[in-house]
Amino acid sequence: MAMRTLAPWRWGRRSVPVGREMEAYPLDVFQREMNRLFDDFFKGFGLRPFGEEIEGTAAFYPQVDMTEDEKAVYVTAELPGLDEKDIDINLSKDSITIKGEKKEEREEKGKESYYMERSFGSFTRVLPIPVEINPDKVEATFKKGVLNITLPKIHKEKKEQKKIQIKSS
Amino acid sequence: MAEVEKSREAKKQETPGNIITERIRTGRIYMPDVDISEDRDNLVLYADLPGAGDEDVSVTLENDVLTIEAKILPEKSDAHRLSHAEYGTGDYFRSFTINEPIDREKIEAKMKDGVLRIVLPKKEEAKPKQIKIHAG
Repeated sequence: MAMRTLAPWRWGRRSVPVGREMEAYPLDVFQREMNRLFDDFFKGFGLRPFGEEIEGTAAFYPQVDMTEDEKAVYVTAELPGLDEKDIDINLSKDSITIKGEKKEEREEKGKESYYMERSFGSFTRVLPIPVEINPDKVEATFKKGVLNITLPKIHKEKKEQKKIQIKSS
Repeated sequence: MAEVEKSREAKKQETPGNIITERIRTGRIYMPDVDISEDRDNLVLYADLPGAGDEDVSVTLENDVLTIEAKILPEKSDAHRLSHAEYGTGDYFRSFTINEPIDREKIEAKMKDGVLRIVLPKKEEAKPKQIKIHAG
């Protein structure tokens, strides 16, 4: 933390957590904080830990969450500005591929830009599926710029529980 | 490979704590990415607000401060176990100071697929005028 408060290019910019946290996944939040700390630090020099491109030139790369309960695995992805027609989902035996392109809105000539923070372009994300799923019952919905995929699990090993009576002799 | 991919992401940024007042709702607030451009007649703003529908977003122009706010209700139920997470969900907040005089009656805002588009028409006096040069 000390490093980051000293870095002048970061002053006054983001990352002060707002309010008390009511997060469902505290450990995950912590990891995200740590990642951001490193990313922020290296960004200041215009370079990234792994020699990646400088901020601003990055193409659109959607972020994905995966959750599961006993019934299914749920994948959600933030894809603002895409249409369901622009998204392509492919399922293989143990992975799911989300492909798409975020197209830039038609800009007329003679425009001056002040902010250009949004990113565009095509992307492909391949996500491993941790459990066996039923490929015929996979459903996907796209609403308000968020893609939701439900991958129902196959229950093989889980046999129905049976209560066994103990007889008194 | 995973690390390399991670650093390429267009990260969702949280709103800095010092520019907003204390809120009643708990949870995180994110700063949406925006594009703002200007032509002769209009200022056009695009903001990425994934997860927000037209009923969740409020756009206000008070004096010369344009504020975009969106309330996002968490979708994930507590029964789900998280296996992989890259983004957080929370409300969006961002405000801008607009220096040009805007025709307030004609502002248009539209929400589509998680992208907000606001067109702010300039007032007639703010539009650039071509001045004819007469040969002397």
